[in-house]
Amino acid sequence: MGVAFVAHCLLNQNSKVAEGAHCAGVYSPVVDVLRAKGWRIEQMPCPELAFSGLNRFWAVREQYDTAAYRRHCQRLAVAVADVVGLRVQQGEDIVLIGIEGSPSMGVRITSSDPERGGRPRWPEGTPEHTDGEGIFIEELRRELNNRGIGFPRVAGETHALADHDEAAQRAALEATLDG
Amino acid sequence: MEPDERSFRIALTADRYVNPPPGGLDGLAVLAEAGWGVIQLPAEDYPAVVAERMLVEVAEQVREFHSHGYELVVVGECDKLGGALAVVGVSVSDQVIPASAAELRAFLDARPVPAALRQLR
Repeated sequence: MGVAFVAHCLLNQNSKVAEGAHCAGVYSPVVDVLRAKGWRIEQMPCPELAFSGLNRFWAVREQYDTAAYRRHCQRLAVAVADVVGLRVQQGEDIVLIGIEGSPSMGVRITSSDPERGGRPRWPEGTPEHTDGEGIFIEELRRELNNRGIGFPRVAGETHALADHDEAAQRAALEATLDG
Repeated sequence: MEPDERSFRIALTADRYVNPPPGGLDGLAVLAEAGWGVIQLPAEDYPAVVAERMLVEVAEQVREFHSHGYELVVVGECDKLGGALAVVGVSVSDQVIPASAAELRAFLDARPVPAALRQLR
């Protein structure tokens, strides 16, 4: 048991980009696993919501990778790192649960397309997903490193990926929690 | 924009209802079943500077939902929430401090249809 720092949208699908919500509010497949295993939940802020708003377009890393957005993510990372630090001091085990495919919250898979811009239209199935972390996750890693705190184990919610498999996602999350 | 599964309903929820103590009310489970999203508020035992920093971010997100007509309520108590929301020009007056799942569910079910949802219909 320990503390799971979860992406904002896992407790609040209303924060998703338009057409992106997979359920009404709480994304139970992840929360149920955390509950069953007795993990404390800490919700992280959604970096894109406060910066680009509810009417934001679907975007890739390159569109968010600006100095202003990184400053915004750094500010959020300080707030999250404060709490991570408190929990680490208390000897808690820490896990971070991100959103695979997200330009901000991806932990192993993010999205990239150097050509994307201008009028928002692109072919269905554009292969934008690529290995890597989202921008907020990078800034959180940097902030924790600056404080001498090791980066926690990570798991990713995979709904945005073409090969999403809920059972596989659950198994991967359980394995991460079990360490 | 095409509609999706979102409820347009969000509860600003005290930590003790997200991470209930033994025997406490699991507010997160009630909110999930009722289709509400959750914005978690800082735990009561966090140092003031940590809680205040978190509430700044909570308030900025709440402002965005408020300006788009999402239904917002407060579940539980959080000392400095009102002040943080005032900074971004928002007030959330509907609040419940539930003692039971039934009380929380009745409160949620009595909320009006969100303005954002009425506009979609």
